[in-house]
Amino acid sequence: MKLANLFSVRKVLSFLLVLSVVYATYSIYYKVKYWGFSLSPKQVTDIWTIDAKVSFDAMGEDVRVSLGVPADNESFKVLSEEIVAKNYDVVRDKAKNRLVMQGRKKEGKQKLYYRLNIYDDVQNNAINKNKPAKVERPLLSEEEQIQMNKLWELAKNQDGDKVQGVIAAVNQEMMEPTMSLVLPLNHTSKEFAEKIIQILAYKRIPARIARALKLEEGKKNDSLSIMLEAYVDNKWTLYDLSTAKIGLPKNWVVFQRGGVSLLDVRGGENSKVMFSVLKSVATPLKMAEHRAKANNELWGYEYSIYTLPLMEQNALKWLMIFPLAILVVVIMRNVIGVTTMGTFTPMLLAMSLVKTGFVPGLICFSVMIGLGLIMRALVARLNLLLVPRISFVVIFVILLIQVLAIIGYKLNYGIISSAIFFPIIITAWIIERASITWEEEGAMNTLKEIFYTLVTAVVTYFVISSEYVRHIMFAFNELNLVVLFIVMLLGTYTGYRLTELSRFAPLIRKGE
Amino acid sequence: MFEWFKTAKLLRENGVLGMNDRNYSVISKCNKRSLYTLVDDKVKTKRLANSICINTPKMIGIIEYQFQVKNLLEIVKGYKTFVIKPAHGSGGKGVLVIKDYDGEKFYSASGDVLSFNDVYQHISNTLSGLFSLGGKYDVALIEEAVIFSDVFKNFSYHGVPDVRVIVYKGYPAMAMMRLATKESGGRANLHQGAVGVGLDVRTGRTLNAVMHNKPITVHPDTGANLMDLKVPFWREHLIIGALAYDMTGLGYLGADIVLDKNRGPMMLEINARPGLAIQIANGRGLKTRLEEIEESYPKELSAEQRVDFVLNNGK
Repeated sequence: MKLANLFSVRKVLSFLLVLSVVYATYSIYYKVKYWGFSLSPKQVTDIWTIDAKVSFDAMGEDVRVSLGVPADNESFKVLSEEIVAKNYDVVRDKAKNRLVMQGRKKEGKQKLYYRLNIYDDVQNNAINKNKPAKVERPLLSEEEQIQMNKLWELAKNQDGDKVQGVIAAVNQEMMEPTMSLVLPLNHTSKEFAEKIIQILAYKRIPARIARALKLEEGKKNDSLSIMLEAYVDNKWTLYDLSTAKIGLPKNWVVFQRGGVSLLDVRGGENSKVMFSVLKSVATPLKMAEHRAKANNELWGYEYSIYTLPLMEQNALKWLMIFPLAILVVVIMRNVIGVTTMGTFTPMLLAMSLVKTGFVPGLICFSVMIGLGLIMRALVARLNLLLVPRISFVVIFVILLIQVLAIIGYKLNYGIISSAIFFPIIITAWIIERASITWEEEGAMNTLKEIFYTLVTAVVTYFVISSEYVRHIMFAFNELNLVVLFIVMLLGTYTGYRLTELSRFAPLIRKGE
Repeated sequence: MFEWFKTAKLLRENGVLGMNDRNYSVISKCNKRSLYTLVDDKVKTKRLANSICINTPKMIGIIEYQFQVKNLLEIVKGYKTFVIKPAHGSGGKGVLVIKDYDGEKFYSASGDVLSFNDVYQHISNTLSGLFSLGGKYDVALIEEAVIFSDVFKNFSYHGVPDVRVIVYKGYPAMAMMRLATKESGGRANLHQGAVGVGLDVRTGRTLNAVMHNKPITVHPDTGANLMDLKVPFWREHLIIGALAYDMTGLGYLGADIVLDKNRGPMMLEINARPGLAIQIANGRGLKTRLEEIEESYPKELSAEQRVDFVLNNGK
């Protein structure tokens, strides 16, 4: 036949298919990268809620409270902040990463709250580039100098860089009595850190204290841990004081660094700050807007289906699975070659099965079709006209569903009451068509057609009931464009259907 | 899986036309959709056929509206036998053949005795679309019954033996005769168990015969040797097919033709989407034939010239 003509249609469609695949691939990459969409439906994002409770006794004067807070995007992204400080003026000092709260003439116990919601461990090392001032060597007595040199000697033998060596050496030497000169026996971790800073200063290595919070589920009234930051190889590096490990461990967040204190209260006494941590989870879809905003990709997001109200989104989520179900039907009919009752009847059946559950749905459906066929056979003798006859079947199905629902409810037997979810008109048409086929082509052909309809429905069911598939088709809805072109390309498929291979088997003449 | 590809390859080599191929490469390219209405309505087809002198069973009358149904006896006055057909029916659905009747009783060809009320009901059903495609309102066509030629008497168990000719771009491409059996219930549908006899398009003689996709040589009920079948007036059969193309413009059509004892071959209906079972009946693929016609048969011949071309040159 017209081969040239045929090929051009196929070529155009193939080209469009390739184009849609390229587009979908890029779009999926984009959504994963900038909106944080995940390929799996089960993946969730941890959201940490940190509560900092500042309390102090005010002394009747003007009060100024300054609290160190984490910098955005350093180790985590900030989802939201909340400050509860009644009658205080709150100012954020962005350069120094401090929260400044000022109140007039306060008296008595004061409580201020700072709540921070953060997500996404980002481990950003680019922050904190500012170069430190030159370090003055500490003035030491002769004995201290000997001690110092001895420590540096020991540090050289340790693993890791200089700072790690020093931390390890000091940790080791602490057991030695001579060390008491360097470090008091009952030292706090702050004193320990200060000592290390002093030792590093001896070799002119800049260092400072960092205060960080470990994010743990259900942490209550905790204080911050002290860590050490040293300026090595032209960048600030964080060290753990007991293990000498480099870098901020996972799920830690730095609140404050440098010599200044974490909390600074003027006009009050007995000030302290306590931290509580709570963990919650959110789906990537819910976090998408924040991530898009954080990545400056909000424009694309605002014109996506994910900004619609939830009800519309849920409806769309259901719709987005249709193209795939349609693809299954197309393949079953045009490539496999089974005849089904009605083109999209199997698809609608599969949709109902998703709602009823597989086994209950199948049982219930079979019962409905069976009873419907018996009833239809009885009515066939009345020779009703077509429209009234099909109307009779529809009403009969509705009544049947009612009865089944009541029986199912009374017997507490969900299988029966799942009848409600079947599309009434579709069910009625299946009964009508089955009974006509029965009269005209015999029971075998009818059963065959019902069987193939069910097989197609079951295959469709297994495709669309997968939570994974549903998530992918909704989150990456551009895939529907790919499905569209696959379906169109299948519209030019002129090869044999699978069932035709056996149908035309007598036409294979061997040895000719 | 590999076996499938092998089978498909063998079928392709034998020029077997598949359903997808038929729909995509043949029907959608040869048959304009607007032409379908010419063959979907039997009244229209009949009028069209008569206008270019194709023999069809004579139309007695049509019943379009419910109030006309009671006039049936007046319409058929003077005819001893008649057939009631839905104008939009397919596959022989809703066809009622009345062999004889008096004022009250009607005797059908299948041996039933019907009252006037039964016949009245049948026509009402027809008008309401009971037998039409998609349940649309229909018209009842009343025509003269075909008096079947005795030639095929032994070849069919009840029912109507008819010849189906596939016509591609005006050239008869393949032909078969369908014979009813006990199993098919007097119907001529192959998948219901009727016998399909592939006919040599040049001679009208049997090439091959199948029932349920399996080759047979004798009729299962009458015992007639199917290999002896030869359709008389074969050229006239083919001319009807070729004219059907001129009349409808359908590049791919199936013409159903019956042989009347007195009037010769008559066209019953035209199908714009003839099925593929004819390949099995013939034991050969249709695609080879279509390609042959497409590539090497002369264009712009008259219907008779085309038939003669096939009779002299065709395979």
